[in-house]
Amino acid sequence: MPKSSQPRRLTLRAYKVGFGDCFLLTFHYPSDDRHVLIDFGSTGSEDGDDLMVRVAQDIHQQCGGKIHAVVATHRHKDHINGFATRKSQDGPGDIIASCQPDVVIQPWTEDPRADPKATGPTAVSAGKKGLGAAQAFVGSLNRMHGVAEAALSEIDRLRSLGPGLTQNAFRQLSFLGEDNISNRSAVENLMKMGKHNFYVHFGSKSGLESVLPGVKTRVLGPPTIEQSATIKTQRARDEAEFWHFQAVAGELAAAGGDALFAGVPTCSHQDAPPHTRWFIERARALRGEQLLEIVRSLDKAMNNTSVILLLEAAGKKLLFPGDAQIENWSFALGKPDVQELLKGVTLYKVGHHGSLNATPKSLWELFQNKNKKPSAARLRTIVSTMAGKHGDPRRGTEVPRQKLVEALEAESDYFSTQDIKGRNKIREDFTMEL
Amino acid sequence: MKYPPPPPAPTRKLRIIAQDPGVRSNGGIVTAVVDVAAETLGPGPRGYRVQIVDYDSSTHKLYQPAALPPDHDPYRDASDDALLSNPGFHAQNVYAIVMRTLARFEFALGRRVNWGFSGHQIQVAPHAFADANAFYSERDHALMFGYFPGRQGLVFSCLSHDVIAHETAHALLDGLRERYTDPSSPQQAAFHEGFSDVVALLSVFSLPGVVEAALEPKNRSRRIPREKLKPEALRETALLGLADQMGQEMSASRGDALRRSAKLRPSPDYLSSPDFQEPHLLGEVLVAAMMNAFLEVWVHRLSGLGEVAQGALDRQRVAEEGAHAANHLLTMSIRALDYCPPTDIEFRDFLSALLTADREIQPDDSKYHYRDTLLESFQDYGIRPSSKGEAGVWEPPEAALVYDRTHFESMQRDPDEVFRFIWENRAALRLCEDAYSQVQSVRPCLRLGPDGFPLRETVIEYIQMITLRADELVQMKVRAPDAMAPSAEVKLYGGGALIFDEYGRLKFHVRNSILNADRQTSRLESLWRHGYFEKGAAALSRFASLHRRRAMDLPPLRKEV
Repeated sequence: MPKSSQPRRLTLRAYKVGFGDCFLLTFHYPSDDRHVLIDFGSTGSEDGDDLMVRVAQDIHQQCGGKIHAVVATHRHKDHINGFATRKSQDGPGDIIASCQPDVVIQPWTEDPRADPKATGPTAVSAGKKGLGAAQAFVGSLNRMHGVAEAALSEIDRLRSLGPGLTQNAFRQLSFLGEDNISNRSAVENLMKMGKHNFYVHFGSKSGLESVLPGVKTRVLGPPTIEQSATIKTQRARDEAEFWHFQAVAGELAAAGGDALFAGVPTCSHQDAPPHTRWFIERARALRGEQLLEIVRSLDKAMNNTSVILLLEAAGKKLLFPGDAQIENWSFALGKPDVQELLKGVTLYKVGHHGSLNATPKSLWELFQNKNKKPSAARLRTIVSTMAGKHGDPRRGTEVPRQKLVEALEAESDYFSTQDIKGRNKIREDFTMEL
Repeated sequence: MKYPPPPPAPTRKLRIIAQDPGVRSNGGIVTAVVDVAAETLGPGPRGYRVQIVDYDSSTHKLYQPAALPPDHDPYRDASDDALLSNPGFHAQNVYAIVMRTLARFEFALGRRVNWGFSGHQIQVAPHAFADANAFYSERDHALMFGYFPGRQGLVFSCLSHDVIAHETAHALLDGLRERYTDPSSPQQAAFHEGFSDVVALLSVFSLPGVVEAALEPKNRSRRIPREKLKPEALRETALLGLADQMGQEMSASRGDALRRSAKLRPSPDYLSSPDFQEPHLLGEVLVAAMMNAFLEVWVHRLSGLGEVAQGALDRQRVAEEGAHAANHLLTMSIRALDYCPPTDIEFRDFLSALLTADREIQPDDSKYHYRDTLLESFQDYGIRPSSKGEAGVWEPPEAALVYDRTHFESMQRDPDEVFRFIWENRAALRLCEDAYSQVQSVRPCLRLGPDGFPLRETVIEYIQMITLRADELVQMKVRAPDAMAPSAEVKLYGGGALIFDEYGRLKFHVRNSILNADRQTSRLESLWRHGYFEKGAAALSRFASLHRRRAMDLPPLRKEV
């Protein structure tokens, strides 16, 4: 390959988007720059839409109005809501779309042809075990949005009734519920903004090959249904049925009790017999916990559809795992050749905002550029996060997980987007000579 | 002459849905009339052990408590539609089945049985939430039954006999063996599920109407040819046939114990297979062993029946024999709990307990061969009895014990007196002196044998606990998991059930010694692998999440970093 087609330098811009991810990665070639936008979403920022527009405008400016590739690792709001458009065509998604990305890369689970309502099978889903399991799985993911919406509405009602639900449970439920509701506008924009769409899985081409000459790209996740040893065909169908019933049950709850026993007399809260009141309070709290568990489960399932990308240029390796958790990672980490590849990671975008399960111990132990002392070759780690939004320190599930942050600080050049201070500063840039 | 009024009847009759609305005969829902302990009920119904509170937390509706007349069943002649659409009947159905299950436990154990929480009355919510789930919550003193729209209309889990009996069995098992919900081996978690399924299915099969409906529902002849009454044929009709009719919508979250028990063919490899370590799947192995024994015993009982025509038996009698077999196995299964160790149960312990419990009350098994059949069926599924004694029954204690420092009468009711006995005999009973020891229960019981003679026993449960650092475990020859920090604190458990005869002499000492290094090592290894030493892991609500974890195929609690 001629030297002119090899990048000389790269810049990674980490945007401060609250609880979310937004990274603009630029490879500087002798003749031009190539820009890859990896995720664009937020859930926890107080500035909301305004911030998303400001970030989109900055991205537009930084890349000179041309994005070569967009990677949307998975469909959570905190990774894609920046792609949402407005009727007035001045939404953050409109600005990104105006940069005319050549390729848009998403996990195989976003492939419209893998949708249960689709007629044509994908290369991934039409494997030996057939289309059914893959479609069932994608069907489950689609239904989860409905479950999240129903949970949000149920939790609002539960809270308005008074005692029963703790503040902490309410806060977590609201956050997770918000993050998991459907982002239709963003999803549609991602579907049509690029010239080519790539729906990737472990071992597939990434779609970046033609965009980034001289850069090796590997997709390490998510595995397909057939690849994943943990998801079996029948289980995928059981799961699909489970989420189907959850979704319709949620609709029933939202409709109120009349759908159940029309005309049957009920007691008002004030008239509840005294011996029932303790139990009613307990039942409400229990329901809150149940909803939280359901929403946590679907949140995790969505996280595990994340694209895991490894980019390599001039021996420097950059790892972007989205929000992949252990179940997604375990397929790749079980492969000796992948383990070998991961040893030399130079820059690690910390998975899932620094959560408990997204940096598996077996992954962290592979990184050979970890070093307790600062050095030129020391591993660079970057986390995009916002404390106090996700998880619970009493359960050891807070995000970012303190234990992980301590390990990252001790053995790498660690940066958190929480360190970007000042209202006007929205990003931190990192450069690397290649 | 004026006669005094007759004494109040000890029981009353209530109509229930025999299995669930999916099981039909002649186009109608199969219902049954069951005997329930008579009591003066408050609206709810609200009784001395069971209180129905019809509160729906998804819609925040509290239905008016249903008042059940003291002298008759208002739903005795109600139409199917009326049964399905009336929350008052739902409340009656769940009340009657919970009470019936409680009564089965009390009959089998020969004493009153506590719930698994400190209270007398369990709260039952028949329409607790819009969710395809139902569970027992110890913390809330409650059984919660969800509802959801199914393929053909609303599905009410409070109308499924097996679901209600299953959850009630969890609550009762939790009262009898509170340590069985502790994190331990995969078999202990599976036992709660498997045992509750065994109780649920045998309860359903103990109703002749259900069995009759399951036996070729389309064939209305009163006769059944003998060739259709062999184990394989009955597997197809009674087990799979009923499974086909039963509501299937909850199978994703609860499993399909009946169908699985019929389809899970005998193999000695299930218990060690990594594919069967999820509690529901492993529990299904126990259910399969039991249901296969049920078929064998049923067929054996039919061999003695006279033919009503050439080569044919009367359908009703066939069903009754099935119900008798189910009833007997149900009694055996519940009674066996008294002969199980109080901590870290494995299926092989339960088998020895089953065999011992039955032999004690019915030494002669030559008529229907319940014990031989169970032994064989369990062995077919790789479950061999823990006891090396004759026919797998527990052996009497080996060492001589000191009785003369305790009093016979106090030993039947007083935990301190029993503790004195245990402490005096700690060497003979091979207890760990360094561990904290506690008598958990002293339960005198009176069971009635088939010959009409009572069997009096006193069942005592004690536990031992010790907390050690990981680096101290080696002193007990226990190996800590490789990656465990030396300073990590580890709790070890052990304990035993002491069964005293009517003269106050110890008959059996069924125990899991805290000093058993192999068992403790493998327990720690299993817990470590499943993430139970992680912060917050213990806070998870067990029964509520267990069913859901199954539905979503979640791995055990494995956490890294």
